[in-house]
Formats: sequence, C-alpha cells, structure tokens
Amino acid sequence: MIPVSIQMRQALGKLVLPLLVLLSIGIIIAGQADRKLADQARMTVADGLAPLWGLMTSAQHRVQAINTNLREAGRMASENARLQTENENLRRWYDVAVSLTRENDSLKTALHWIPEPTPAFVTGRVVADSGGIYARAVLLVAGTDSGVHVGNVALAANGLAGRVTETGARSARILLITDIASRLPVMLDASHATAIMGGDNTPLPRLMYYAQDTRPIEGERVVTSDQAGAFPAGLPIGTVHYLHPGQPVVVPFAQLDHLSLLRVFDFGQALIDPPDAPGHVPLAHPRKTLTLPLKTLLGQG
Amino acid sequence: MMPDPSMSAWEPEIRPRQTVWQRLDHGARRLLPSIFIALIIIFFSAPLNIPGAAELLPAIVIATVFFWSFWRPTGMSGVAVFLLGLFMDLVGFTPLGVSAFILLLVHGVAFYARFGLMRLNFLLVWGVFALVAVGACLLQWGLACLFRLAVLDIAPALFEALLTIGVYPPLSALFSWVLNKLDEKEDP
Repeated sequence: MIPVSIQMRQALGKLVLPLLVLLSIGIIIAGQADRKLADQARMTVADGLAPLWGLMTSAQHRVQAINTNLREAGRMASENARLQTENENLRRWYDVAVSLTRENDSLKTALHWIPEPTPAFVTGRVVADSGGIYARAVLLVAGTDSGVHVGNVALAANGLAGRVTETGARSARILLITDIASRLPVMLDASHATAIMGGDNTPLPRLMYYAQDTRPIEGERVVTSDQAGAFPAGLPIGTVHYLHPGQPVVVPFAQLDHLSLLRVFDFGQALIDPPDAPGHVPLAHPRKTLTLPLKTLLGQG
Repeated sequence: MMPDPSMSAWEPEIRPRQTVWQRLDHGARRLLPSIFIALIIIFFSAPLNIPGAAELLPAIVIATVFFWSFWRPTGMSGVAVFLLGLFMDLVGFTPLGVSAFILLLVHGVAFYARFGLMRLNFLLVWGVFALVAVGACLLQWGLACLFRLAVLDIAPALFEALLTIGVYPPLSALFSWVLNKLDEKEDP
C-alpha cells in the first residue's frame, strides 16, 4: 500500500465508482466494436465453467432418476401389462417395417438411387442456459475438440433445436430457433410452399413471408428448407398453429424449455458445389472453398 | 511504538496488528457477499427447469448488491460489483459490460444514499429499492433494445422488476441474520 494521506485516500475512494462506471461503458462499446474478442472471452469462461455445470446437471439428473425409479416401482404390474400388449403390437409392426425396408431397397436398386452421405454427428449434454431474458441459447459440452463448428445444426430428440453460433475448445453455444435473432427458411410439408420462421423470444416462433395463395394449414408439419444452403431439407421442426386468425406460429417438436441432450450434425453443406450451368448468374457461396470439384469428390469418397 | 510501514499505521484508529488468522477471517467476511453472488450466477446458469430462472438471477443479484452496498459497503466494494457484473455478462451472453454498468449504478445509488436510507424504516427502504429496481430493469430493457435495434417486448422487463422487488424482503431478512451473526462473532 502506498502511504498517502487520509484526505487523499478519501478523494481517491470517491473517484473509484465514476471510473468504474466509465470503464463499464468503455467495455460495452469495445464489446460491440470487437465482437470476436468478446466472444472469445465468453467461450474461455464457459469452457472453464463447463465441468462445474456438468457436475451440477449430472447430480440433478441422478436425483431425477431416483425420483422416477421410486415412482415407477409403485405401478410395476400395470406397466408390465401395458408393455406386453404394446410389445405384441410392435412385433407386428416390426414385420411390416422389415418388409417395407426390403421393398424400399429393391426399389432403390431398380432406380439406381444415389445414397445420401450420412452426416457426422456428436452428442453433448446441455449444461447451461446461457440466454438470459433477452435471448434464447444453451451451452453444450462439446466443442471444437469434438468436431463442432460454427453453423452446425443441433437437433433434439424429435426436432430441430438450433444452430451453433460460437465454439470453444470444450463447449459450444447454440442459438435456439426461438431466439429473436433466428430466421430460418422453412417448408410447409403439405403444400411444399416456403416461408420464413422467425423467433421472437416466445416459445412459439412465427411464420412469415408465406405465399398468400398457399396459407399454412392448422396442424401442418413444418420442415427445414435448403434454400439458403444453411440447412439440409426435410429436418422436422414442428407443426403449424394459429394463435389468432392470420397469425400462424410453429409449435416446435423439440422441448426447447428443458433440453438435456443435443445432437450436433455436420451436414457439410459447404461442400456441395452446384455444377456450372450456362445462362445462370454465378452466385458466390459465402463459405465455398476454392477447390476443384474433382478434388472434393475424391476427398468425400 | 516503532513507526510501522504497513497500512495499519495509516488507519484512523489505533489497533493491534492482526494475526494471519484474523486477516483471513476479515477477508472472508468481506468477500462473503461477492462469493454468494458468484455462486448464485453459476447456479442459475445451469439448466435447472426452475420457472423464471432467467429473471430470478438478475433479481437476486440486484437485491444483494443493493442490500450490502448500503448496510456494509466494505463487503460490497465498487470493484467487486464491477467484477461480478462482468462475470455475469461473460456467463450469461448479454452484451459485455451491460450488467456491470447497471449493477454499478445500483451500487452507487445505495452507497451514496446509505446515511439517508439507514434512518428510514424497512417499508420505506423497500419503496426506494422498488424504484431502483424498476429503473435498473427498464435500463436493461432499453440497452437490449438498443443493441438489437428493435423494440423488444417490455413484459419480461416488468416481470423482472416485480420479481426483483418481491425477492428483496426474504433476502434482506437472510442478510440481516447473517450480519447479526457476524457482529456477534466480532464482539463477543
């Protein structure tokens, strides 16, 4: 401690608070100007705290598991009877599925169907709800170390959850489809009409910019569309629901308010190069790599 | 008495030099509220399925900062408030510095008004805190709108303000109890 007089120290003490307020304003401006640095700082902190959050969520899951086990034990007999009837039913469906798969295979062989490449995916546990009041996002324990990249698609058990926006070494932040910054090209399953699904921080994202002659129908399935090249076509998102006449929203299949596991898919969209067609205006793909098409094909195979 | 080069010589009152254990004890007492807030931030960032967890976190933090800033400013210094706000921003993915700014303003109001506030009874202090909380939540909402360049729904901000006002009495009871315990230990 530097020996200063009491008056001096009191004067300095009065200066601390205004200085800190100015510093925080400076940080706000710097964070807006250099977002990359701010994101890097965040992901470093998130990486450091990810194990702690993992510990907390695993404890929580264990407590939940014990709780459900205790509850299940009480109605074992009725559950057993229900499962037996369901098993009989499923066995019949199994036969149907096997025969359908065989038929599908034979039809695909007859058509010389080119199989789609199976996308690589990693599964991670959701450890933090990092959104706050004005954003909807979660933190996943799977980062660049496990092959997660910015722009990858995150799917919950039964539907689209969001997209990876920031990655650290061991954690990744996923912007959910309900966030106010989320705008996705979607396709209405029944009419094959396209629309935009825009989040507004409520649990039900809105449908916008649909064609006026093909309005969304109540209960219709909504899937992703490959229009902007960010998503592969056909990932299930949810169903159409009308809150008020003329205001269609999507009810997501994924339970976005309590996610526990997410699969992050790398569909490798940037690798699909459309062949040059004469007469078309060439559009520069934002993430297209400058490689020869032949090399890409060889690399994939 | 020999002139002592350490800072205790410059303290306004004369007191015996502290042992290491006493220093640790004092340090822990000073850091207690900050550690409490840091743990609350980490706890509420985990997905806990608590309804309204996103609004509850700033509510608890604002109430805690306000209480300690006016009852025990040594336990909640401006630097600690700044660091906690920054930590909250880093964990919560809000624009960097926004929480630090808002918490510093709350701290400043409580710190400079503390001699006036201490004379009031609890209900009046609560009323003052309600005004501060509404101001803080509206400021947060305004900054969020500014950064998104869009007018966001104001309902979450009002809900957060109500939650902040509602969470103050129980927290204040808890902290008063903690303060009493600490004082009891200080002069047995």
